[in-house]
Amino acid sequence: MATTPRSGGAGSGTAQRPNGTSQNKSCQFKLVLLGESAVGKSSLVLRFVKGQFHEYQESTIGAAFLTQTICIEDTVVKFEIWDTAGQERYHSLAPMYYRGAQAAIVVYDIQNQDSFQRAKTWVKELHKQASPNIVIALAGNKADLSNIRVVEFDEAKQYAEENALLFMETSAKTGMNVNDIFLAIAKKLPKNDGANNQGSSIRPNGNETNRPTNNCCK
Amino acid sequence: MTDGEQREALVRRAEDEREEIVKRYELGLDPTNIVDPWENPTFEIYHITDKYGFMHDSRLPTTRNSQEMQLTKIELERDKKWMKMLAKWPPPQDKLHTRVYKGIPKAVRWPAWKKLLNVDQSIANNVGVYPRMLQLAKKYSTETRQIDADVNRQFRDNLAYRERYSIKQCSLFNVLNAYSIYNSELGYCQGMACVAGVLLLFMQEEEAFWALNTLMTDQKYGMHGLFIEGFPKLTRFIDHHDRILSKIMRKLHKHFTKHNVDALLYAIKWFFVVFVERVPFSLSLRVWDIFLLDGDRVILAMAITILYLHKDELLRMKDMDAIIEYLQVKLHKNFGYSDDDAIHALERVMKKLKDLKLDAPPPAKSNEFPTRTLGDFVEADMEKKIGRRRNDYTDTEKQVITDVISRQEQNAIDVQSTVSYETSECATVTLTVPEDSHSIRSSLAGTSVASHGSSETMSLEDNNIHLKTANMLQSTPQREMLLGT
Repeated sequence: MATTPRSGGAGSGTAQRPNGTSQNKSCQFKLVLLGESAVGKSSLVLRFVKGQFHEYQESTIGAAFLTQTICIEDTVVKFEIWDTAGQERYHSLAPMYYRGAQAAIVVYDIQNQDSFQRAKTWVKELHKQASPNIVIALAGNKADLSNIRVVEFDEAKQYAEENALLFMETSAKTGMNVNDIFLAIAKKLPKNDGANNQGSSIRPNGNETNRPTNNCCK
Repeated sequence: MTDGEQREALVRRAEDEREEIVKRYELGLDPTNIVDPWENPTFEIYHITDKYGFMHDSRLPTTRNSQEMQLTKIELERDKKWMKMLAKWPPPQDKLHTRVYKGIPKAVRWPAWKKLLNVDQSIANNVGVYPRMLQLAKKYSTETRQIDADVNRQFRDNLAYRERYSIKQCSLFNVLNAYSIYNSELGYCQGMACVAGVLLLFMQEEEAFWALNTLMTDQKYGMHGLFIEGFPKLTRFIDHHDRILSKIMRKLHKHFTKHNVDALLYAIKWFFVVFVERVPFSLSLRVWDIFLLDGDRVILAMAITILYLHKDELLRMKDMDAIIEYLQVKLHKNFGYSDDDAIHALERVMKKLKDLKLDAPPPAKSNEFPTRTLGDFVEADMEKKIGRRRNDYTDTEKQVITDVISRQEQNAIDVQSTVSYETSECATVTLTVPEDSHSIRSSLAGTSVASHGSSETMSLEDNNIHLKTANMLQSTPQREMLLGT
């Protein structure tokens, strides 16, 4: 009955592990994607995590969870990404995902004015309800369709500046600015004093070894 | 512009938008219905499509092995038996039970599902209702935009839904649009496209509409309560799921608690679409067969079955992302058990839950069922017509948020107690000698985790109740089929 855990079992779930070289610092951040339905939240994540684009990305029920690791200089940053459902009815579940998040990407579709208004509402809610130090990025997605845009770049940029948000127009389809926006977030996140160690949903540091911990940059 | 004029303009805009979308579906495949190139795939499909119409990444084998030949033979025999049984409906309950659990043959799923969902009766009782709802929906539904967005991405890897504005896509749009009027309290919620999409793989449009209605509003299935604002049934089922886990799979429950794996994170989609896209499609159909026969407690039992069959792997995983990825992605691609083996396990879990009186969750409250008369047309209010989002949460939603947050906080407390227990006492013992339930239980005394335990749990664990599944052992000889260890 007592099955011995296979060797290497602890790391078998994820491909992108830092190789454990001791000079590498490692951090882990919880990031949540919010925004109107069908603006491309799941597609942005898929592009960032797997480098893929599906033209018929299925609608997200509840939420999906993915991780991706990137390196900035000598720091390994692991994103735990919560990709949420966009329909208003699922709105009430959102606090479960953004509570304790250190970063959020609020997405709108540059072809859709309503989705931009919706993004503003999300930003307001995050300012009110999420962790005070949360890093928020605004992503104007579907930038490959900029010839039929409705939301002007300057308008969104100005709004972002007024609200201290990172801002980029992105295209999950072409990959434009997708890695960049995650990278920009990673750069802005604190990586040196365990400042990301707040929020109730950060897992405790268990007995595991050889893995990045939330207690940053050991 | 005055406020009034502005509102009127917004209403006009919403009406125009709806009209435009409806028109596209009415044109269907008509060549004048021009779509953007990306809306229709052009890839080659003939070698990659399975028997359910789903397309895969690579070519499927062209020859079948002897086992598959054998299965086809069995299925042909079953076809005949089912045809006889369907002709003399209703059959004796035990006979029906046995046959449904063996799997309804693909060829008779259409008539069989219709019987189980009482579709022909519903149609006969509601002559003219569906066309009327459809007409009203074309003019008044406020859900058209969301439905359009979801139809455009539902099962696009299936031949039936692959082509934009294909017959099935149009049917899916119509069914959901009409239902949003028929059950105006529920409207449309993401997830319903998947449920209706599955029904339409086996039924005609109007049949699927009434089948959907039965799934939503019949006491036996009650999916209305899952999809309605505030998700009251989701909360009730998640709580019961936790209760079951804490009683019969305590180790896994503790493991999940420790790694912040809240059941809400993995079970929403399980419950909302009855395991479609979370286990292989063929297996989800087998679960649907049983769900249609025995109702919503099957969903709870299947959730437990999945965790139980995979608990060894799950217990080996040391962080949340591995666990969530396993449950969300890996099991869909490869379940690790044959469909028959998985269903045998489900059957035994159902029996076990019944023996322990855990099969039925607490009864539904009235908010899980429609309060308005179905089919009574109520014109939507101005905000809904415009499609404007509310700025504030409703009271129901506030309650959901409070509940969700208190779950998280409770979880955090449980984690704390688990961690302090592990770090202060015998962490290595827990990790290396995990199977001694007595020592775990005594070590846990005084922690909040232990307080979930009950005498029932003890007896279950002490008796080491076996789930004997010969086939399952054959396919994975190293597995131990023990519940609760």
